[in-house]
Amino acid sequence: MDVLPLIQISGLEIHRGNRLILSNFDFELNEGELVSLVGSNGCGKTTLLESSAGMHTISSGSISWKYDELGLKLVRDSEGRRNSLPPMGLTLQKNGMSGEETVLERLQTVLQVSGCDFDSIKTSELLDCWGLNHRSGDRISQLSGGLARRLSVLSGIAPALLSNSPRVILLDEPSEGLDESAKNLLINWLRSLTSRGHGIIIATHDPDLISSSNRIVRFEDNNKISIDLRSKTDSNFVLPSTTQNVKIRKTSSLFYWAYRMEKRNPIDTINRLIPSILALLLCHSLISEDEISTVGLDFFSALILLPSFISVVIPPALIGRYSEENCGRWWSAVIGPKFRFSSSIIGSSILLPLPLIYISWIILSDNILLPNDDVIYWLWLPGLAMFFVSIASSSLHLLISDLRRAGASVASLLLLVLIWPFLQLTDSLEMIITDGISLGFSLDEPIFMILLAGVTSILVWFVSTYLPDT
Amino acid sequence: MKTSIHHVVTSRKFMSSLKYFGWGMTIIGGAGVLLTAIMGYTYAPLVQSPPFRSPEAYRILFWHVPFAWTSFVAFCLLFIGSISWFVKRKEWGWNLFCTGSDLGLLFGLGVVISGPIWGSAEWGVPWDWGDLRLNTFALLTAVAMFIVLSRRSQPDGVETRDTLSTVGLFGFVLVPITAIATTVYQKRHPSVVIVESNETGLDPKMMDVLILGVISFWILMTGLSFLTYLSYKMEYELKSLLKKIDEEVVH
Repeated sequence: MDVLPLIQISGLEIHRGNRLILSNFDFELNEGELVSLVGSNGCGKTTLLESSAGMHTISSGSISWKYDELGLKLVRDSEGRRNSLPPMGLTLQKNGMSGEETVLERLQTVLQVSGCDFDSIKTSELLDCWGLNHRSGDRISQLSGGLARRLSVLSGIAPALLSNSPRVILLDEPSEGLDESAKNLLINWLRSLTSRGHGIIIATHDPDLISSSNRIVRFEDNNKISIDLRSKTDSNFVLPSTTQNVKIRKTSSLFYWAYRMEKRNPIDTINRLIPSILALLLCHSLISEDEISTVGLDFFSALILLPSFISVVIPPALIGRYSEENCGRWWSAVIGPKFRFSSSIIGSSILLPLPLIYISWIILSDNILLPNDDVIYWLWLPGLAMFFVSIASSSLHLLISDLRRAGASVASLLLLVLIWPFLQLTDSLEMIITDGISLGFSLDEPIFMILLAGVTSILVWFVSTYLPDT
Repeated sequence: MKTSIHHVVTSRKFMSSLKYFGWGMTIIGGAGVLLTAIMGYTYAPLVQSPPFRSPEAYRILFWHVPFAWTSFVAFCLLFIGSISWFVKRKEWGWNLFCTGSDLGLLFGLGVVISGPIWGSAEWGVPWDWGDLRLNTFALLTAVAMFIVLSRRSQPDGVETRDTLSTVGLFGFVLVPITAIATTVYQKRHPSVVIVESNETGLDPKMMDVLILGVISFWILMTGLSFLTYLSYKMEYELKSLLKKIDEEVVH
């Protein structure tokens, strides 16, 4: 029986910017191969490497990867079909790491998403090999460029290093920023990893790395590509031992990673909280109880919900974290098609809307005579729907962040549609204040309006998450 | 090679004639739009008060309604352009998308500016959340504005085009969402009644001016569509030539 390749690319055509990078390109990466992508700047090495990981939309062709039990499975094609990758190692041209992470956390995250079993001894051993163990508790932002690159390269190699089955490693200019000793270590590790059956693709200009590979894909002028075969060189270098493959935890790792980043530096919470509290205090100081009584309960309801609404439409800090050193692109490659869906939930304001509604109620309803005293028991209902508004807002911000200069675009223009759930929730709160809660299902019932606000938000969320990946 | 040069020359001639056609239509349409404004003030009669709170303000409809109908056509171009790029990734589809977004923004702004002016004078409020047309136009104009501003600020390329055409499609998916939301809002908060009368239809003189306005705006939009489309086509050719020069410089 033929041994299946680890990666199979057929008839690939890719455009980047206004350029045709690859046309009708066929390629296979086999077990035990180290392939170098070589060529001048901008020739398409990085594009091919990243496209192999399904990171780019393709004009025609398909990319398939070998899954341990399933055989070859489609990862991406020109029709928009997409599947998540099997466990693999990836080092991008930029490091793909957030400065908030510690060195140890980064390595642990990489091993979790690739289903490698590990303990503190194993992680210390790996970090020690690369001279990083003494910095394991430091944030990546505190490392020098060279040390950060070492960590990034180690993170790209580690998923294959500990695995007892053949895996793919994709490394984009791994020797850039490494000193001689680290580069020699890298070359020795790569040779030994191919001896274990892993397949490696590197995009590089480094002659030492090129000479250690056993196939060279050379990008020449006019989109021509030539392939040189070299004899295979085995290595006797001793690598750290493998461990058992365990359950892969991709999405949960992303949730936990985002939680840790926010816990360490709560910019998302503060960015959302300050404008909301300011709005609340301004409402409280500029609008008197008499004025509220005069303008009506719909206005009062809008004031109660306003701080919460402001908190949910603020751009999520997660987008800033993703843009640091291409961190989001690394996560996108690892998580696959579920990345946008997961990120829109993680990036939304989960905790703030509900407390803000209660705080607004306590502050603004003081000294106002209201027809119903039970409102405070039911405020959680519009708060719950506000959570869906938050997810919709987060997904719209993520859609805009796809643009290369996302900071130069006017996000607020797309957020206008969220005025509808806000108006529906205002209506529902007004009904609760006037008549209390009831379980009827008509236009004059608060439950219906809250459901409508939730459904409207979910539709916006669905469209803005589904369309971009189609 | 001869065939290629012949093709370029005939293509240039064709583009040149299209350019003159576009300019001609734009000038005729622009003159018609101005004439509509003049006739709206001089030829069209004053409406009967009391149903109208501000009888003079109604004259804005001679621009407001043609703006709305024309922008609807422009938004359709935007939609067709979005789908064309999204599905086929053809240059003509992108040019159509750009043309539709530019004209959608221009005429859409006409609707959402003239509407509130009329609304303020007539109803006393500039915006009615229960008015389906106003809200839909506002939303689509916002999407068109986002696309136009982003196209100017972002580097052109397949990735940018993919994202912006997605936004174009997103805008159209929002139309039914807005329709449902507006309908529910209207039922909860009945809209302002403008004319409480059993009579329907416009005065024949008003209808004359309105028809002149609609035809003029459509001619103007046709002219502008040709000119805008051609300018994007030429911009693309210019970029291709610049790219060739870049390659010659590098090698």
